Amino acid sequence: MFKNIDGYVRSTEVVEGEFGLQERTRIPLAMVEKVRNVPGVADVSPDIQAFARIIAKDGKPLGSEGNGPPTFGSVGEDFKGALWTIVDGRFPAGPKEVALDEASAKNGKYTVGDTVKVVAQSGSREFTLVGIASYGDVRSPGGATFALFDVETAAEFLGKPGFVDAILVVGDGTRTDEQLADDIDAMFDPSDKVETLTGAEITKETQDDIGQALSFFGIILSTFSYIALGVGSFVIYNVFSISAAQRQRENALLRAVGASRRQISRAMLTESVVVGLVGSVLGMLGGIGLSSALTALLKGLGIDIPSSGLVVTASTVVNTIVIGVIVTVLSAWLPARRAGKVPPLAAMRSTAIEVAQVGRTRTWIGLAAIALGLGVIGAVIGGLGTSWLGLGILFVFGGTIVLGPVIAPPVGRFLGTPAAKLRGITGVMARQNSVRNPKRTARTASPVLIGVALVTAVSALAASIKGQVNDIFTEQFKGDFAINFQSSGFGGLSPSLADGLNRIEGVESATGIGTLLVRIDGQGRLLTVITPSTIEGNYDIGLVGARYSDLDASGIFLSKDWSERNDKPVGSTIKVTLADASERTLTVRGLYENDDVAGNRVVSREMFAGANVQSFDFGVYVKKTADADAGEVRAALQKAVDDYGQGKLLSKQEYIDEQAGSVNQLLGLIYGLLLLSVVIAIVGIIITLLLSVFERQREIGLLRAVGMTKGQVRTTVRWESVITSLFGAVMGIVLGVGLGWTIVFALRDQGLTSFQVPVGTTVFIMVMSFVVGVLAAIYPAWRATKVNVLESLVTT
Amino acid sequence: MNSPVSTVAASAVNLSKIYGSGDSEVRALDNVSVDFATGEFTAIMGPSGSGKSTLMHCIAGLDELTSGSALIDGEDLSTMSDKELTTLRREKIGFIFQSFNLVPTLTAEENILLPLLLGNTEPNKAWVDRVIDTVHLRNRLSHRPSELSGGQQQRVAVARALASEPHIIFADEPTGNLDSTTGTEILTFMRKAVDELGQTIVMVTHDPVAASYSDRIVFLADGHVVDEMRDPTPERVLDRMKNLGN
Ligand SMILES: Nc1ncnc2c1ncn2[C@@H]1O[C@H](COP(=O)(O)OP(=O)(O)OP(=O)(O)O)[C@@H](O)[C@H]1O
Ligand SMILES: [Mg+2]
Repeated sequence: MFKNIDGYVRSTEVVEGEFGLQERTRIPLAMVEKVRNVPGVADVSPDIQAFARIIAKDGKPLGSEGNGPPTFGSVGEDFKGALWTIVDGRFPAGPKEVALDEASAKNGKYTVGDTVKVVAQSGSREFTLVGIASYGDVRSPGGATFALFDVETAAEFLGKPGFVDAILVVGDGTRTDEQLADDIDAMFDPSDKVETLTGAEITKETQDDIGQALSFFGIILSTFSYIALGVGSFVIYNVFSISAAQRQRENALLRAVGASRRQISRAMLTESVVVGLVGSVLGMLGGIGLSSALTALLKGLGIDIPSSGLVVTASTVVNTIVIGVIVTVLSAWLPARRAGKVPPLAAMRSTAIEVAQVGRTRTWIGLAAIALGLGVIGAVIGGLGTSWLGLGILFVFGGTIVLGPVIAPPVGRFLGTPAAKLRGITGVMARQNSVRNPKRTARTASPVLIGVALVTAVSALAASIKGQVNDIFTEQFKGDFAINFQSSGFGGLSPSLADGLNRIEGVESATGIGTLLVRIDGQGRLLTVITPSTIEGNYDIGLVGARYSDLDASGIFLSKDWSERNDKPVGSTIKVTLADASERTLTVRGLYENDDVAGNRVVSREMFAGANVQSFDFGVYVKKTADADAGEVRAALQKAVDDYGQGKLLSKQEYIDEQAGSVNQLLGLIYGLLLLSVVIAIVGIIITLLLSVFERQREIGLLRAVGMTKGQVRTTVRWESVITSLFGAVMGIVLGVGLGWTIVFALRDQGLTSFQVPVGTTVFIMVMSFVVGVLAAIYPAWRATKVNVLESLVTT
Repeated sequence: MNSPVSTVAASAVNLSKIYGSGDSEVRALDNVSVDFATGEFTAIMGPSGSGKSTLMHCIAGLDELTSGSALIDGEDLSTMSDKELTTLRREKIGFIFQSFNLVPTLTAEENILLPLLLGNTEPNKAWVDRVIDTVHLRNRLSHRPSELSGGQQQRVAVARALASEPHIIFADEPTGNLDSTTGTEILTFMRKAVDELGQTIVMVTHDPVAASYSDRIVFLADGHVVDEMRDPTPERVLDRMKNLGN
């Protein structure tokens, strides 16, 4: 991003909040000329990067709110460091001109000479488009949008007149970057509080920031891959059981003529190494192919990633292959041992591949693990740290999987009842077959179980959050309309919007609620910003023994909770440092109960009036006068919002629904999980069914001889598959609901109080698992009809 | 039961069955023509590899013919689809195999009723009761095959073959895996089924004693019908076998 930059001058003062939020103190524009005169400096350019939203020709803002790529306003001028090159027109000059990045111009359908509306902290304004610029060799960096102004306009429109974020420096090559940085630093007094970074340093810092933002993504991905590996190993186990079965006679014969157990086991393990190796390499190549495709896709969607291509490190390659092989070999271990154990006599017997009995120890181990897990969860509920929760859940999961073969027969029989009733003798046989080898049934159902449990748990969590959100806003939001901005800490609605709305006829009050990043006791904290004069009767934060009007410029409201934890009663004082490094001493004027939206600290907008800081509203709440017509007011509001350019006007109920809807991102995750487990479950069931069909050739032959039609053979296999799949789903739902309840309970401090069973999802899962069963049975059922009747009757 | 006008339950007409082709060609049945009369107990005998099982499979619709035709109740099997053959086996034919006759997951009763259940046909209650009593299985009905002795399992198989009142029953060495006492028991039941219930049975066997329970023996050698015998006794059968062997 800063590849042509040799130095970067900025303030040392920064307020850093959670989730990578930070606001650095701006530096005076006058410093630019000072840096320009340092020997060794070839060129300088002031840098500003602040929130600005370009409104397209059709009136819709470009870029996305919330988690999408950011929308920037910045400085565009001739500069040797050349971040921007003009492809059409020229750089802007003067307060009425703007240049756009190439992609934004294209998406906004703008050409040079057009009038462009841009929204920033100070409000919205119209400019004349004088140039279109490209960023290095990409049309726009990473999907972000850029509106470029000359320095003075950028400072005044995006931030504060006379201040910039940083100064970009290009050296003349007479000294190293380090030396240049030192020379620039030497120009300044420590009281100026500025620092100079080399080009390499600022590049690294930026990359680290991006890496951090991506790390959450990484955690989700590795969770996916662990789940995939876990359930994959069940499938591998079954595959090797099949090949052990198919080669049983052959192996028995080898044993009869003198091969040792170890030789036979080892042959199979060697095979697993090869399979693991080939599988891992194929998987990795597939993955690389997929990410190239993804990059191409993003490019196609206009999101250019200015990086040096796809990065595949040696450690990624080694890890993938090593882990792939280890998992495969471990999964093949038991089947290989069993293959070695085959008695030489088995060469003369028909196939009986796995012992079906379930040991008593298994029951005890399973029960003990579940009891232990429940005990830990109980302790967590009783007050033990929530970090123990994971362990408890793991034990319950593990115990259930160990116990699976014990539970499978009764549950399978129960689930098979409709099949037996509906389908007569074929249903009866399917039901019996599904519990014939409980170990295998349980193992086959395990991927379904794990997937379903996770999906159910997350759905339960999502449903509970939705319910909660609904309750909160219904109770606290007293107004009629809201203008909403999905902010994730960057940008938002201009505070001037609420002021304008208050002048509309029929509006009793319009009040903006926003955020401000400050430092308290050395730590970055977000304050909630309100306007005490308009919030009354519109939004209720649950003040206890205080009124909104008590909040003056030197006051602060605290949540009861935070006040207690930090020992800050009413009347005590709190020192805050603003992002422009100025300090305020605030007196606690009152406490409130509803911290769901208001957070822990609330200040008045007056508190930082005139300070050189950023503050946006994430929502504007509007109450109409009692006798005003809702439709008319809404129309007037809509016009004002359209004129402003961004934000979404919603009725109270629409707003509540939309807030609850943000939980849908969580649901997106669920569908990812669901898809993953569906695929693995289908593969697992197919393999197990093939194994069963293979083992039961004679039986199928006999049935065909005495008059079973091919259709009936298929029905039997299909229902067996469906019962197995449903078994996994039912177990998974039970576990998942329990898990969801536990998580919701553990999160009660975060304000989750009501647990909700995700009924819709549960029904959907049951239907899905039925479909999975039917789909998985297609191939094995077809194979079953191909059984040669005579061959299976003649072989003894 | 030798009625003067005996009708034909099943027959083979110029039936040939060739396995493989070229050098490895095996002519398992060579232009065989034979009739099995209704209400008769017929035994098929012959040296190993003479084509006994093959003949049975072809007439019972379990195997495809190379040429000629097989008829059950006057219907030509060679023109039937797989589905029609399946229905035919279920409704008109009963089977008793040497071993592995029963579905291990089903009870004795379900096994007995299997062809009826598969065909969704209502069992003839009185008949089924009679069959079950004939083979003395009344108190074993809810048992699974693994809980029954070898003889009991074969009796269940006999009962299954009878339960659907088939046109004809085919049995391939039904006593081959049993000791002589149990074998005798099974053979007695089969005889009874013919005498008392009017069944038609075709049984493949190596055992002269078993064959002596039949009304008529058809001798096969090298895929040809070489001889026949009526009202056999073990001694006469043994005698004939010796001649065939030579
Ligand atoms: N599937 C097959 N492929 C090739 N040849 C076969 C096949 N089945 C049977 N044969 C051959 O056909 C001939 C007749 O076999 P069949 O099984 O009918 O004899 P069998 O009289 O029943 O003998 P056994 O008394 O040993 O049971 C034999 O030579 C046999 O090798
Ligand atoms: Mg035979």
